[in-house]
Amino acid sequence: MLDLDDELMECYQKGDEGAFTLLVRRHQQPLINFIARFINDRDTAEDLAQETFIRIFKAAHRYKPGRAHFKTWMYHIAKNLCKNEIRNRERRDKYKVDNVVDSGSDGNNQTEKIDLIANAPANSGFQPEVELERKELRNAIQKSIAELPEQYRLPLVLRDLQGLSYDEISEVLELRSGTTKSRINRARLMLKDKLKPFI
Amino acid sequence: MNCLQAEEYFSAHFEDALDYETLQRLGEHLTACETCQQEYARFQESVKVVQQLPQIEPSPYFMPTLLQRIAEEQRGISGVKGISTADWRQLLDVFRRPIWAFSGILALILAVTGTYLSQDGFLFDRDSRSAAVTSEPEQIRVVTPPVEIRRTVGNGSQFRPGGVLSTPARPLQQHYVLKQVSYANASTGGGL
Repeated sequence: MLDLDDELMECYQKGDEGAFTLLVRRHQQPLINFIARFINDRDTAEDLAQETFIRIFKAAHRYKPGRAHFKTWMYHIAKNLCKNEIRNRERRDKYKVDNVVDSGSDGNNQTEKIDLIANAPANSGFQPEVELERKELRNAIQKSIAELPEQYRLPLVLRDLQGLSYDEISEVLELRSGTTKSRINRARLMLKDKLKPFI
Repeated sequence: MNCLQAEEYFSAHFEDALDYETLQRLGEHLTACETCQQEYARFQESVKVVQQLPQIEPSPYFMPTLLQRIAEEQRGISGVKGISTADWRQLLDVFRRPIWAFSGILALILAVTGTYLSQDGFLFDRDSRSAAVTSEPEQIRVVTPPVEIRRTVGNGSQFRPGGVLSTPARPLQQHYVLKQVSYANASTGGGL
């Protein structure tokens, strides 16, 4: 039985262009989140997410619904684009670490603001210093993730931030299940040590 | 189970994916080792805070820009088999690598130089160029004595018992043009 993504791809292959738009709407946020967390740059993340969807669009006629998972295919394309981007950045020596970390601090991030308002307790007063601490912790986490070696960062982001299963991660990264589990455990241990001052 | 082995099972324990035997062994170790207890508590905490990171939302321009790009791609596909912008970008990405960029520049220089020199006649018309530095050629006629040429016979028309056909002797004249280089205008005043 086909899942919704496969059904949408099938509809698109039959000429329903709205199906592709729906696919994009379903996956745009997780994809941007994945890329942004992985390359640690929100602006480039949107460009790369667009490039991923363009590639999917171009190769859509070759997709066989039911044979592969749309989600893992999408992450696979995005992962390759991210790796290229990181390689290009290293070559240009322009690897920044703080774009995502500071994304909410300039007041432009509407979602972050909405989150703050939504999460603020209704009865007791909103405590800015508590929120500041939380934000510092988030920045520290993002920085620590960015500092992880790529081979550990990638499975960690896919598992703990994107919520993919071990099998899906193995499919995306083309790794054996044991290797995937071991890398995720190693990444979490590294992160635990990096976050020691905060936890 | 020692501490290093225990660490290997932290994730599986956190996700409740350990088999009963391993779970018992790990449990025994964690009960006995206070350091591992603390490390596991910190491990749990760090995984939880990572999992609670907020999702990054797409900007409001994401979807319109993407749809515009898709429309461009569609025009590119259905158009006159032109190369799309993305394809050009992909093609030019190759030249971001220094070796490719260098090779490309070198090839370009060689192509330009080759074209220039061939137009100038430097490569393919040497005689005219060498004539420019020589004085008027002096023609010397060399007459060689008649030579008898012996050939093996292909048909039996004038076959002789010796298997050799003698052709009528005719003088062979070859004309050689010798070019004499003049040093009159050289700075040595004609001397070497």
